[in-house]
Amino acid sequence: MDYDYLKNKKILLVDDEAELLLMVRSILEQDGYRNIRTALSVAEALAAGKEWKPDFAILDVMLPDSDGFGLLAKLREFTDIPVLFLTARGEEEDKFQGLGMGADDYMVKPFLPRELTLRLGAILRRCYKNENPVVQLSASRIDFARAQVTKNGEEISLTAKEHDILMALYRNAGRIVTIDQLCEAAWGDNPYGYENSLMAHIRRIREKIEANPSKPESLLTVKGLGYKLVLEERV
Amino acid sequence: MKSTFKLIRRFILILMLSLIGLVVINIVLLVGLTYRDKSNAGGWKAAGEVAEQLTGSEADGFSLTDEGRSILKERQAWAILIEDGTGNVIWNSDDLPKEVPLHYSAAEISWYTRGYIADYPTTTAARGEDLLVLGYPKDRYWKLMYPTWDYHGIVNTPKKVLVFLVVNLLCIISIYLIATSGVLRQVKPIVGGIEALPEGEAVYIREKGLLSDLATAINRVSERLRIQERELQKKEMARTNWIAGVSHDIRTPLSMVMGYAGQLEEDLSLSEENRRKAGVIRQQSIRMKNLVNDLNLASKLEYHMQSIRREMFNLVAVVRRVVVDFINADLEGKYPIEWNTSKDLEACMIEGDKELIRRAVNNLILNARIHNPKGCRIFVELKEDEQKAHIYIEDDGVGVTEEKLEEIQNKPHYLMNQGSMNKQRHGLGLLIVKQIVEVHRGSVCFGQGREGGFRVQISLEKGRG
Repeated sequence: MDYDYLKNKKILLVDDEAELLLMVRSILEQDGYRNIRTALSVAEALAAGKEWKPDFAILDVMLPDSDGFGLLAKLREFTDIPVLFLTARGEEEDKFQGLGMGADDYMVKPFLPRELTLRLGAILRRCYKNENPVVQLSASRIDFARAQVTKNGEEISLTAKEHDILMALYRNAGRIVTIDQLCEAAWGDNPYGYENSLMAHIRRIREKIEANPSKPESLLTVKGLGYKLVLEERV
Repeated sequence: MKSTFKLIRRFILILMLSLIGLVVINIVLLVGLTYRDKSNAGGWKAAGEVAEQLTGSEADGFSLTDEGRSILKERQAWAILIEDGTGNVIWNSDDLPKEVPLHYSAAEISWYTRGYIADYPTTTAARGEDLLVLGYPKDRYWKLMYPTWDYHGIVNTPKKVLVFLVVNLLCIISIYLIATSGVLRQVKPIVGGIEALPEGEAVYIREKGLLSDLATAINRVSERLRIQERELQKKEMARTNWIAGVSHDIRTPLSMVMGYAGQLEEDLSLSEENRRKAGVIRQQSIRMKNLVNDLNLASKLEYHMQSIRREMFNLVAVVRRVVVDFINADLEGKYPIEWNTSKDLEACMIEGDKELIRRAVNNLILNARIHNPKGCRIFVELKEDEQKAHIYIEDDGVGVTEEKLEEIQNKPHYLMNQGSMNKQRHGLGLLIVKQIVEVHRGSVCFGQGREGGFRVQISLEKGRG
């Protein structure tokens, strides 16, 4: 999966440890991100935020001249960019505070480089999806913006539920998404008892996107657990 | 409060019993004391007896038998026989007092029939047409000049006695209650205070009245308990804070170790050997990370510093999510997880902290992986019965010996152990599982797996949903 346009996004890293900034930067660079800037304090971060207009920010909570929560509040005054907290503060309370303030994700140090890049990629895909509304599968192409599937040159519309389910799968492409997560995506909070409906929807989606719905190649079942959407490698 | 009522009930019971006892004792005493007086009612009988013992007639003279004499003697009484019609005394006993007249007019008859002749109490008996009068010493009977009683007065006597008794009883009970309620009022706060002490509540009782010494003592005990509790809490807080601080400070350095090791591992310009070494560093730093997280949570759970969020949630969804996260992260496929839960079990609602339950299941799967570095299959199954939900996590790896199992089940972890730290210890992971299950009032059971590995069963109370 190579979402080239996402790698061009401007990413702002804020942490009080220069060494850690260097490392995160090298991790992101290794993953293909090209536009990265770092800041060591709230003041620097705000300056960069106003002037450089980043597309994404990775914030530490512990900063020398205030904390990351305060920084987020100030950033929110002039921008809506997605934010990920990367911090040593692992308490549930901190996590809830960060997420409650509208952060898109909260990661506790220490972390695995791969986890960071995966989460970063997922958030970017989710927030900037409109720039790439078309997803190529083995037998078809999904245009999420128009809720259309193109298979063998034929256009097929997706229902709202099918769209929601496919979107949830697409955001976690290549990974298993549990039955419960899919039900939640389609029917809202705390859904249960929808498993049979979900199966019916999956069957209909397969008829629309698969070459042979009884031998799926793109939308795979993981028995008892959930489903997985496999994307075609981009050329 | 309950004990105060018990006290009152007991007091009243004792009072009732003693009242009944008193009445019985009084009756026995009365009977005993007046038993001898009973024969004295025979004053009238004696007159009849003497009349029978008087033989003869006016013509041939009267004579009193010996028996008649002895009756008179015994009572120190005299006797006269009054003739019918004339009113003359036609016979008298030997020791007749001089002041007793020997002739009686019809008016005078009314004297003795009322009971007195010249102040001598008298009784009468008929002897044929004539009348025998028996006179007793003056101090023998109490003077009852008008010994007539109102008919209703007599008939109503039992009722009146009963009213008297009841009024008396009520009086006694109310006097008693007033007297004891004063004491009870003073005892009540003390009883309440003592009852509240074990609950760990702060107790203060007004130090006044009869039992002020007791109140002072209880207040002091309460104060001391509070101080001790505060001290203990301070100590525990310091300990958890210390652990939390260390685990916080270690995160940033560990991030760099993990981050760079991860990068080096994927650096294709390095030799295979060096990349393998970087991989080991990364894996070991993950272990350290887990350890640090576990240590922090375990100490918080142990000292109740972890806040528990209770909500209704679908256990199936939570466990499924943990399993999927593991599968998604297991890129090498060394630890395939089999989901054996029945298809029919879509939802199983329980009440508890979702995050902690997730952590427990996470730890168990992680545990299987740590103990089986060569890989193993992991089986996860959920079941439910009427009251409980059961999570089974099992692997087909190296498994455990019976001794080790015994140790895991029963030995306290070094974190809670007061003894030396040199003894065998098991990982924090299982300790946390135990703690989490405990917080949810469930049960956890460790055992041998059916396929040779380790098996854990967690049972949790189902929510009322």
